[in-house]
Amino acid sequence: MSTDESQNLVTLSIDGREIKAKGGELLIEAAEKSGVFIPRFCYHNRLPQVGVCRMCLVEVKGPRGFSLQPSCYLPVSEGMEVITQSEKVKKAQDGVLEFLLINHPLDCPTCDKGGECPLQDQTLTYGPGESRFAEEKRHWEKPIAISELVFLDRERCIQCDRCTRFADVVAGDALIEFIGRGDHTEVNVFPDRPFSSYFSGNTVQICPVGALTAAPYRFKARPWDLSQVESSCMACSMGCRIMVQSSQNGLTRYLGLDSDSVNHGWLCDKGRFGFEAINSADRVTSPMIRKGDSFVETSWASALSLIGSKIVDAKASGDPSRIGIMLGSRLTNEDIYAWVKLAKGVIGTDSVDSQLGDGLRGEVIAALPRATVNEAVSAKAVLAFTGDIKEEIPVLFLRLREAIRNGRTKLVTVGTRSSSLDKLSEVSARVTPDQARLLAMEVTKDSSKFPEISAVLSKQGVGADGEGLVVLLGRENLAWDQSIVEAFALELSRSLPKAKFLITLRGSNFSGAVDLGGVPRLLPGRSSLETATPVLRQKWANLPAQGGRGAKEMFNAALRGELDLLFLVGSDPRQDYLDSELANSALDNVGFVVSVDTYLSRSSSSADLVLPAAAFAEKAGTTTNLEGRVFTVNQKVTSPGLCRPDWTIASEIALELEEDLGFGSAEDILDEIAEVSPLHWGLSWHRLTKSAALDGVVVPITATALSIRPRAMLDQISTPGIASVWNQGLPSSKTSYFDDGTIEEPGSASQPPAQASVASVEPIWPVAPVQPLGTMRLGYSRKLYGQGEHLMNSPHLSKLIVEAKCRISSKTAKELGAEMGDSLRVADKAGGESLFELEIDDSVGDGIVELIRGSFSNPGFSPVRSDEAVNYVKVERA
Amino acid sequence: MAVFDALGGFKVTIGQVFQPRVTKQYPEEKRKKPPRFHGRHVLNRYEDGSEKCIGCELCAGVCPAGCIYVRGKDNPPDAPVSPGERYGYVYEINFLRCIHCDLCVEACPTEAITETKVLEFSFTSRRDAIYTKKELVVNNDGTPKRLPWEDWRVGDDEFTSGWMRATSPQGSKDFEGRTHWSGELGEGVRKPEAGQSDLKSEDASPRYMIRKVEADRISKRHGGKVR
Ligand code: SF4
Ligand code: SF4
Ligand code: SF4
Ligand code: SF4
Ligand code: FES
Repeated sequence: MSTDESQNLVTLSIDGREIKAKGGELLIEAAEKSGVFIPRFCYHNRLPQVGVCRMCLVEVKGPRGFSLQPSCYLPVSEGMEVITQSEKVKKAQDGVLEFLLINHPLDCPTCDKGGECPLQDQTLTYGPGESRFAEEKRHWEKPIAISELVFLDRERCIQCDRCTRFADVVAGDALIEFIGRGDHTEVNVFPDRPFSSYFSGNTVQICPVGALTAAPYRFKARPWDLSQVESSCMACSMGCRIMVQSSQNGLTRYLGLDSDSVNHGWLCDKGRFGFEAINSADRVTSPMIRKGDSFVETSWASALSLIGSKIVDAKASGDPSRIGIMLGSRLTNEDIYAWVKLAKGVIGTDSVDSQLGDGLRGEVIAALPRATVNEAVSAKAVLAFTGDIKEEIPVLFLRLREAIRNGRTKLVTVGTRSSSLDKLSEVSARVTPDQARLLAMEVTKDSSKFPEISAVLSKQGVGADGEGLVVLLGRENLAWDQSIVEAFALELSRSLPKAKFLITLRGSNFSGAVDLGGVPRLLPGRSSLETATPVLRQKWANLPAQGGRGAKEMFNAALRGELDLLFLVGSDPRQDYLDSELANSALDNVGFVVSVDTYLSRSSSSADLVLPAAAFAEKAGTTTNLEGRVFTVNQKVTSPGLCRPDWTIASEIALELEEDLGFGSAEDILDEIAEVSPLHWGLSWHRLTKSAALDGVVVPITATALSIRPRAMLDQISTPGIASVWNQGLPSSKTSYFDDGTIEEPGSASQPPAQASVASVEPIWPVAPVQPLGTMRLGYSRKLYGQGEHLMNSPHLSKLIVEAKCRISSKTAKELGAEMGDSLRVADKAGGESLFELEIDDSVGDGIVELIRGSFSNPGFSPVRSDEAVNYVKVERA
Repeated sequence: MAVFDALGGFKVTIGQVFQPRVTKQYPEEKRKKPPRFHGRHVLNRYEDGSEKCIGCELCAGVCPAGCIYVRGKDNPPDAPVSPGERYGYVYEINFLRCIHCDLCVEACPTEAITETKVLEFSFTSRRDAIYTKKELVVNNDGTPKRLPWEDWRVGDDEFTSGWMRATSPQGSKDFEGRTHWSGELGEGVRKPEAGQSDLKSEDASPRYMIRKVEADRISKRHGGKVR
């Protein structure tokens, strides 16, 4: 009994059976855990309950005997007596369903929800069986497009309030609401305001009927011809858990899986609907070699032997660093490991980089103490010095928003512009690089120049050593050199040694690249070239003697004619490198460029040899998210044409050099990673697919990570699409959707490797240039729908790509004498210029001009220069 | 005695010797097909010419042989193929797999797919065995397409929309399966079935009545119950 009390357990009886439940838990949840499914429509475990549909009525004993009460609105209490199956309950359920169906159209055969519809299923299971309604039903216009991505059919809506609650409470974009009364209640958007939320796809997934349907899935397939596999989204570094569903070897949709540590079931629309790009007809499907101005198809054999001879030639000069490799964000951990092993273990060059001027140095990331997302959302205080999270890592924004709204943590933002986080923060401070330095050094001191920030931190109980503080660290303004952010973080970590850092860079698997040596000077397990473990030295025979070049140095070397061979593995520097001027002229100057790509991107279309790569969902492997959590990524469809997974291409190239990388499958690579990398000790395919399937594991694996039991059960009503594909049955029982295997003992995994210390990396504050006369400070940030091959090849997402505008505050506009919609000429340092339409936006600081990265691609114009610590541009009316 | 016992055992066999023969000399001699014989499928049209199939894939979902492949698409607003939002954009049946069980016919919510009585058709390639919309959708006058390799006999294309309901549209458990003849091209839109609503039989279309009488007659000949 004492343990019961300590866990606050209460005893109640359901249908005469005694069960124990946590006090305060909702009856519907407690019943479900004890194996009694109560039908429901409006209840969703991640939304505040409203109790509007009345489907969950059960008999509960009160002072005046048993009466019907909504189990989704009733917390359990000691001695409660509940009856879920009785004549009275049955009559209530019959009544609710008959009432819901009065105005419900007979659309099932053409309705996208048909076959996975909670209304269909529960009508069949709990409904009256016959209708007494012979009159004409209420009619609305059939589907109306409420955004580019979502259709609304108001006839089918059962007013459960799930979509509206999600949009308002979870996403904070209350763009969809109830209108009208009685039988004319409709859910709809406001006039002239589309449902332009980044999270609109979630409402489609949780709508219990076919009222909200997704344009990319519309009429593509029916649930019974889908098959599915669990995977992790690789559209950004959050790594949301998803179910990938396909029909006839074509991807049809992704659905969010509810992982407690990661995405809570939510996805952003960019991730959710990005599958269309993989089905695109514009994929590269065969190796292609440049002949003059165009490409001709060639065979894998001749392409590989050509690469082999190019590597031999480049090495013949005696300097392996004349060969460089740039890794993109498409790559799984296995792909990264194989390419890094090819570079650093076989060829002997350390010039490998996975960041395009928009990241942070690998050594800095490796030295900062790492926080998990769960730690961040429950920290005493969070300090954000990062790009707009909502635009870059949207689901992390949802997690933070939820935590802050529920008072679990408090937020302080620092930066050059206001972002969507500002609405949630206690204090937001605008800083210059010099002020950032001051802030880093004395944030918790009484003498601080930022008294509001210090006040929030001390009120929240953040220790003088930073205990309880989590810093979200990213690239707040891409017009500031990364060295400023790195110095800020190192300085902060020195003054607050107990503060933890969550690196909020956007690129998917940037973390895996740092952990596996996909950056210069690091090796798998974040060890340096000098501290390589003996087992690594044995497996990687040809370790480079000295540190190699990062992206910027590679480009500078190319300009000097010192780069003979460059591999772009899923990397598109012409589009993505911040200093596009440098990238373009450097790439024109490389001896031979090999691009391993899925589409003909700007870089691959000017490469010398293009190799077709397998895309997401076409290969198996693992990925690491921003907090260092490793999950599986699985194959669902076969690649078109001659595409191959990136790691096999690295293996084949090694064979051309008469070396064997030593693995034949992604699983082999994972085993080798676990063997050579101290950070990944204890990781295995088995562990990832069995015991930790849903939440993945944070590396380095600790005993606590292993003792977390995954949620092995799935509520069919919360996630009907997934359950119905698994089990075309009635929601009478919950479906176990993966093997709830036993958890092994940590074993050797219980010895995490020593963490590199911040003391070993010096903060180097760059000298910020004096602002030249007649210029404005540049603000350079990302939007969710910037350009990119992924977006441009998705028919639906491509419609959302943001226009290239420049934004300035109204005060600055007045000084320029410009008005909304005017055309402005923005000139970079070298005089390259481009015209932009002006948008007046007071979230931009005075004297700053804001450009959106990726929204323009003008070869002569490169506002950010890789050799400037802070960038200025000239702005004038055109 | 043992001899009689043994003969007793042959009683049935010996009795059969004097029965009329049932073996037919196929293919020289062919049996008359019953009216609801399950032959090659057709996809029907409404009398305005629009296709009945809405591409719902229910037939594909129910088919035990897995031989139907359907894909739906949005009806083009300016030239809709079928009534409503969705139409069958791809429709294929692989007749090397079909077992002519008619479950697809029963599953179809719009009576789009039904069967003719043609059973004699052969192919020289597997590809020809996969009938697509081109072969399956009926002609503009509602008659099935006759393909060169099919052996059509008199009556094979009659009553192609014969359609059996196993479950009551109202869900009544007392309902017993019975045959209905739905409106074919030129027959008008189908009226509610007599006996399943309050519709008096004289309100049903005359053609419907003729068909019903005919159907009952045929049904009786084959031992069916007449209602
Ligand atoms: S929402 Fe469900 S019940 Fe309603 S038409 Fe669609 S499938 Fe049928
Ligand atoms: S549209 Fe769907 S989720 Fe929204 S209220 Fe209607 S039924 Fe519920
Ligand atoms: S008759 Fe039977 S086997 Fe043939 S297509 Fe229809 S459901 Fe399939
Ligand atoms: S034939 Fe009938 S069941 Fe098959 S897809 Fe067409 S409408 Fe649906
Ligand atoms: S009222 Fe309880 S689930 Fe809707």
